[in-house]
Amino acid sequence: MPATMVLDAPTADVEEVYRDASEHFGHVPNFVKVLGTNPAFCRSITDLVIRLLQDGRVPWAFKELVILKTLRASGTYYSYGAHEQLAISLGETADRIGDLNNSLWRESPHFTTAERAVFALIEQIVEDANDVGDDIWEPLRDGWDHGQLLELSALITTVINLGRMFDTLGVSDPVLFTRPVS
Amino acid sequence: MARLPYIEPEDADPVTKQVYDDAEARFEMVLNIFKITGNAPEIAEKMWQVYFDILQDGQVSWVDKELLILKSTKIGDCLYCVTQHEVVAGRLGVTPEKQADIVGVEYRHSDHFTPAEVAILDLCAHMVVDPEDIPTEVWAAVKEHYDDGQIVELVATVGAYLQVSKFGDALGVQLEEVWHGHEPVLFGAEPPVSAASRHHLDEFLAQAPSA
Repeated sequence: MPATMVLDAPTADVEEVYRDASEHFGHVPNFVKVLGTNPAFCRSITDLVIRLLQDGRVPWAFKELVILKTLRASGTYYSYGAHEQLAISLGETADRIGDLNNSLWRESPHFTTAERAVFALIEQIVEDANDVGDDIWEPLRDGWDHGQLLELSALITTVINLGRMFDTLGVSDPVLFTRPVS
Repeated sequence: MARLPYIEPEDADPVTKQVYDDAEARFEMVLNIFKITGNAPEIAEKMWQVYFDILQDGQVSWVDKELLILKSTKIGDCLYCVTQHEVVAGRLGVTPEKQADIVGVEYRHSDHFTPAEVAILDLCAHMVVDPEDIPTEVWAAVKEHYDDGQIVELVATVGAYLQVSKFGDALGVQLEEVWHGHEPVLFGAEPPVSAASRHHLDEFLAQAPSA
């Protein structure tokens, strides 16, 4: 049960946020309703999630693998199942999702060198972000441009944030998208 | 060395320029952490809006949020964030003595904190360490002083500052020259746990004070 109220029926000051969320996700996810008692944060956090959960400089399908790996590495599982479904809907395979586990990704034939470089970054950011060295950054630069690296860093750390935030608030979204995504 | 280029205001596109203006209103300058996000303006715009909502009085006072920012970034061993927010908190009237007592569990025994402040600092510490297992009594104490909308804002503040600590540190964002010579308050009271962070602190302390 969430620690705070779930605002099912939006008040006037969050009606527009609920409408935008519904348009993007196909319905209003629970995380939006839990934020509903604070219109400013309901707006800004929902906007950030919408911006990240779509194709960007990095394809959405790979972003879903980044989200799954980050949730696993940081031990927070808010909407993990929903992101697994999303990854599949966007064309990711069970092999790639399964090989995110522990250190399987390091040896897996299902990932490119550029993708593995991102998983190494995720593990190091979760472990100690003060210690992300040249050994992590050099392979990243070979596979991704500046804008993509900024997007990936923002995505990874946003997932760390929201995983903690929504687990703290006790919110759950077993399904995030009820509209077709592919 | 930062891992990506800083995009200076004169090279920024209109979206990024707006972000820089909003940042300057809160920090009195465009900090490096904002400049690095000029590499992806469409992400910067949405990411920083959450922080602009935090860095002002909202349903919760800015001062309460600064206490949580200092606590969460100290636990994250983020020299960059802690240094910036020692300055911001100071401007808002949080004395160095009070700031120093945020470390560890000092705040629980310190004369500088109200019961409401102790309650949210306890929530912050639990949220960082294990969000799946926050004791009932911690929630009860918070709910004695804050309503649901305020709790959303408090929890969003802690989450956002865990995020930005890791974001800035991973990207190697450096403290601006203007802070060279700043005497660390929280890290003076309790050194970083991370060896890499201790190294960053030593390097920072070795810099000559800015003129």
